[in-house]
Order: sequence, then C-alpha cells, then structure tokens
Amino acid sequence: MNILLVDDERKFVTMLARRLELRGFAVTCVYTGIEALKVVQEGAKFDVAVLDVKMPGIGGIELRRELQRLDGDMKFVFLTGHGSDRDYSVGAKEAALYLPKPLKIDDLVDVLSKVTGKTAGGRGENLSQIKSD
Amino acid sequence: MDKLKANLKSLYPHFHRQSDEHLNPYYTFQDYRQIWGVGIFFLMATALMPLIAMTLICYQLVNQSIDTESLLRAERLASNSRRAVTFFLEERLAALTFTVNEMGYERLTDPSRLEEVLRNLKLGFGGLTDLSVIDDSGTQVAYAGPFNLEGKDYSRQPWFIECQRHNACVSEIFSGYRDVPHIVVAVKSMQPEGRFFVLRATLETERLIQTLSSYKTGEHTDIFLTNREGVMQTPSRFYEGKLNRLTIPLPTYSDHTEALIASDPQGQPIVMGYAFIDTKIAPTSFVLMVVKKKAGMMKVWLDLRSNINWLLIVSAVVIALVVFLTSSFMVNKMFDADREKARTMVAAEQNCQLASIGQLAAGVAHEINNPLALINETAGYVKDLFTIKEQYRDDPELIEHIDSIIETVERCGTITRQLLGFSRRFDVQIQPINLEKMVSDVINFHKKEAEYRDIAIHVDIPATVPLIETDRGKLQQIILNLVSNAFQATDNGGRLAIRADLNGTEHVRLTIRDNGCGISEEHLNKIFEPFFTTKKEGKGTGLGLSITYGLVKKLHGDITVQSKQGKGTTFVVTLPIHTEKGFNA
Repeated sequence: MNILLVDDERKFVTMLARRLELRGFAVTCVYTGIEALKVVQEGAKFDVAVLDVKMPGIGGIELRRELQRLDGDMKFVFLTGHGSDRDYSVGAKEAALYLPKPLKIDDLVDVLSKVTGKTAGGRGENLSQIKSD
Repeated sequence: MDKLKANLKSLYPHFHRQSDEHLNPYYTFQDYRQIWGVGIFFLMATALMPLIAMTLICYQLVNQSIDTESLLRAERLASNSRRAVTFFLEERLAALTFTVNEMGYERLTDPSRLEEVLRNLKLGFGGLTDLSVIDDSGTQVAYAGPFNLEGKDYSRQPWFIECQRHNACVSEIFSGYRDVPHIVVAVKSMQPEGRFFVLRATLETERLIQTLSSYKTGEHTDIFLTNREGVMQTPSRFYEGKLNRLTIPLPTYSDHTEALIASDPQGQPIVMGYAFIDTKIAPTSFVLMVVKKKAGMMKVWLDLRSNINWLLIVSAVVIALVVFLTSSFMVNKMFDADREKARTMVAAEQNCQLASIGQLAAGVAHEINNPLALINETAGYVKDLFTIKEQYRDDPELIEHIDSIIETVERCGTITRQLLGFSRRFDVQIQPINLEKMVSDVINFHKKEAEYRDIAIHVDIPATVPLIETDRGKLQQIILNLVSNAFQATDNGGRLAIRADLNGTEHVRLTIRDNGCGISEEHLNKIFEPFFTTKKEGKGTGLGLSITYGLVKKLHGDITVQSKQGKGTTFVVTLPIHTEKGFNA
C-alpha cells in the first residue's frame, strides 16, 4: 500500500514513516502541501494520504480537496494535534478518519486498512509483540 | 396570604444580614445600616422640623395675641368704668352747682329750704346723706341731714382748702367725724357782696362701689379705686394690704386710660388697666384700677395647647412609623438589587475566569501535543527496532521501559485532549433531538455497570417534552459526563434519577439526581473550575465538569448544582428548545 505522509514536523514524519515501513507500507514523506501536490502532479500514485490538519501554507483540509481533484481514488486520513480540529459535524464515519496526536500506531494501521480495503502489502517485519502497545 | 407575609417581611430591615461574605467586594454600598439610619434621620428631620416650627410659631402668635387682647380688654374695661365713676361724680357736682346758682345763699341758709333741697336731690339722684352751707370762714351755717353739726369749723379740712382753689372739689373717701366711709363733694359760689360760700354734700360710697362692681367680669377681674399715694379707696379682692395700702405698684400718671402687664407680689403675671380720674369741674385724687390675673385668661389657651401637643406627639409617632417602614422597604429593595448584582458579578467573573483558563489550557495543549507525538513515535520506533533485533527482543526490562514511556505519553495525551475539549471551538450542528432517546442511549453505555453495581436508574421523561433543537454531540457529551459523574459518586445499591420537564415555554429542564456521597459546601462553588478534583492524584483530571459547563454554555443553556454531603447531588441543565441555525458558539 502506497502512503503519502504530509506533516510539517520533519522528525515526526521520519519516525512515523519508518514505523510504517517496518509494517510493510510504502511511505513517501513530504513536509508541505505544495510538495505533496507536486509529487502527485508528477504522476505518483497513492492509495491513501495521511495529512496533518494544521500546517503552514496549505492545511490538511484544503490539501485534501486539491489532491482529490488530482486523484479521485485517493483516500484520506487526518492527524491532528488539536482536538478542536476534529469536526463533530462531519458525522461518525468521517470522524473516524481523524486521529489525535499522539497516536497509537495500531490505530493508524487499522484505519489505513479500513479506508483502503487493503493490507500493507509490502514485506514487513514480524512485530506481533508490539501489537500490545 | 403568603404574598402578604412576604410584603410584610420586606418592610422589616433584613439588610444587615450580609451573610455571603464572598459577595462583599461586589456591593455598591458597604454599610446599609448607615444608609438606613441616615435616611431615617433626614426624613424624620424634614418631616418633623416644619411641624415643630409651626407649633412653636403658633405658640408665639397665640401668646402675643393673648397679651394684646387682654391689654385691650383691660383698657376697655378701665375706660368704661372710668366713665361711670366720672359721670357719677360730675352728675352730683353739676346738681350742686345748679342748686347753688338757682337758690343763692339766702335761701340755702334757710333750714327748711335746705331740707327741701336735700329731699329733692335725694329723689333726683340718691346717695346723698346730708347737705350743708359753709361760709368763707369755714364755719357751717346751715345743715340738713341726720346729724346736727351746725357751727362746726371746716376751715382746716383739705377739701375746703381745695374747694377755695378750684371752685369745686371731690374729697377722698374718708370716715370723718361719723366713722362712716363717705365722699364729700362741694361747690363754691360767690355772694353779690363779694364773699363766697360753699355748698357741701356727703355722698354714700355704697353706690359708687356698686357701680364699680357691676363692671367686674369673671372671677379673676378686680376693679377698685385708690388714691394717688396707693391708699385703697374701695375694697379690692386681691390687692389690699396692711393699712389699706395697695400691694402692687401704682402706675405712673397718665391723662388717659392705659393698660400694661406687670407682676403681682407672688410674681404671677397680671394685666392692669388704669385711669387717673378727673371731672370737668374739679380734679380728684382717685385712680381707677382694673386688674386681671393673666393665668385665668390663659386657661382656654392652655387647654388648646395641650390638645396641640397631643396632636404633635401622635403625628410624630405616625411619621416616625411611616418613615421607618418606608426606609426599611426602600433599603431592603436596594440591598436586594445590590445583592443580585453582586451575585451576577461573581458569576460573570467566574465565567470569565473559566473562559480565560480554557484559552490558556488550549494553547498549552496545542503546543504540547506535537512534541508528545514525536516522543511517542520515537519511542515506538525504538521499540519496533528492539522487537526486530533479537538481542534486545528477549530483554524484557528494555521493552518495559519503552512501554513505560509510551504509556506516560498516552496519559499526557489524554490530559491535553481533555484540555482541548474544555475550550473546544467548532461549529454547532443544530438538529432536532429526542431527549428521551438520547438519555436511554447514554444509559445503555452504563447498563452493565449499573447491573453489576446494583444501581437503580429511573428515567422520567414525559411525552410532553418536545424535541429540542441543539447539537447532538455536545448534548450527548453533557449527559454522558453527568451520568458518569453520578455513577462515580454513588455507592453500590444507590439510585440515579433522570427527569426532564418543560421550564416555561422556551426551555427544557433536565435533572440528574443521585443519592451518592454529595459535595461539601466549600467545594460546591469550585466544581466547574478546570483542574478541580477531589479524586486521588492521577485518577481524575478535574476537567470533566468544566468541559460540561463549557458545553452547556455553548448550547446557550445553564447548569446548576445542589448538593448535600452524604445525601446526594442534583445537577439541573436548562436548555433552550429552539436554537437559531448556523449560530457560532
């Protein structure tokens, strides 16, 4: 499964990407909305984009609209450090796509699978012991 | 009846019971008792001063008019009686003059003619005792009357000397040879050869005294005659002293009637009218005195004054009562309004505090969440690596430490999430909500716990409670928070009652009552403050109720709490039935 990970916190992106890669996901990391658009415009294909809601420049919600235009099949999951970013008005189904920071990696993996209807697909490590965290 | 009681209560001062000390700094006025006292003082002063002033002025005026009136009356009485006395004397002098001129010396010295004249005069005027003719040497030459005093020498008598000088005379009242009080009146007449003679008559004083007495008015009035040296000429009821002397000072001479206010020997005020009596024909030494005791005339006024005093006292008491009640009522009202204001201000301040703490909390939470996320991922990655590498995977201590970091981060995350919940700002999605359904949904969450802990849940939401337009998520969270709270406060086997009813036409009231441990009074006004908790450290963040409070406010509602330690707690949430769509909280 190809994931586009967008967050302005570089170290966080790096760590999360490595953990996802360990779990068999193919992750592309970018740090701004502009970069993300650029990557997709250049023809890269992603199953799902994991977006930080609050970013300098183009925020997660706006970026989603732009990306959706470029690739109608792309799914979206949001990360938020701001509890208030989750919009109660979006309904239960949509609300499930908002994951609060700090997040549990298993929750993210579950949501990603649910959203795309796919498993990681890549060759991951055996992290069964970690399941418990 | 209750209304009357409440009204009566509001007339009684209750403002001194400033029991809520935390309200004190918010009162506009600090000392209501002082305001009340000063108010009563000034109102009383304003009402009573004119009344008292008017009364005093009235006293003054009445006193003055009494003085004027009594002086006038004394003077008038003196004037009238003077005229009577003068007329009495003048009439007799005139009769003698007529007789002398008509008869002449020769005929008057004829004893039988003199007797006839006396008889005629007695018939015409009365009061004459005798009649005599005295020649210029002072020797009595003819006499008619009961005493035969022929040949008696009058040349040294003062009235004879007086008569030579003024052609006529009126003597003082004296007893003379016969020891009977009488007045001698005499007129002088010239004979053709140039010698003179005197016709003398003795007058009884009885007639004169009677005349004077007839002018007496009232028991306090005294009318009498003295001579110019203060020797009594007719009897006086009150002012006759030893040796026939007048006991009050004789006024100075005046040629017409006068009146003045003086004091009697006892120091009592008297009104005195007087006249020095002179006839047209001859002067006399009489002084007519009219004396009235002022106290006697004052009696009517004193009675009136006592009535006025009573009226004054009763008016003052009524005014005092009305002023007291009015002041109490006003100051009570003022105090009540002020207390209400103070309460509102305290509540407003608390709201303000909550809001600013919320903003601060949100800011802190935002800033902390990102580093927390980084710690979380880094620790997670390290754990991932350890799990992959065999030499670490079997070291349980390492994994345990990492887990501990992750767990702690999670705890921090919970706190920041709650902090954010406290000040959450997002659009409110208004939709019609069935309160009964929502409550039963929430209770479903707790069904297992209720069964397990044997807690009875009573829900009473009548069908009359309408659908309310509000935000589903927020209302759900409010009810969930309050029900969770109640569960935490209630012991096993306790009871929880949830009731809803209409509050007026615009609001619905949701009451959640438990019979749990209750909240102590000192904690009661802090429970909506963030971070306030009575739970053990680490067990509660103290944000639950402050979040609930914020949510209720966002839904334009109100939340209140009543609690008694050991008896239970009741939360009452009031929510508007209609909320404008698209409003931003």
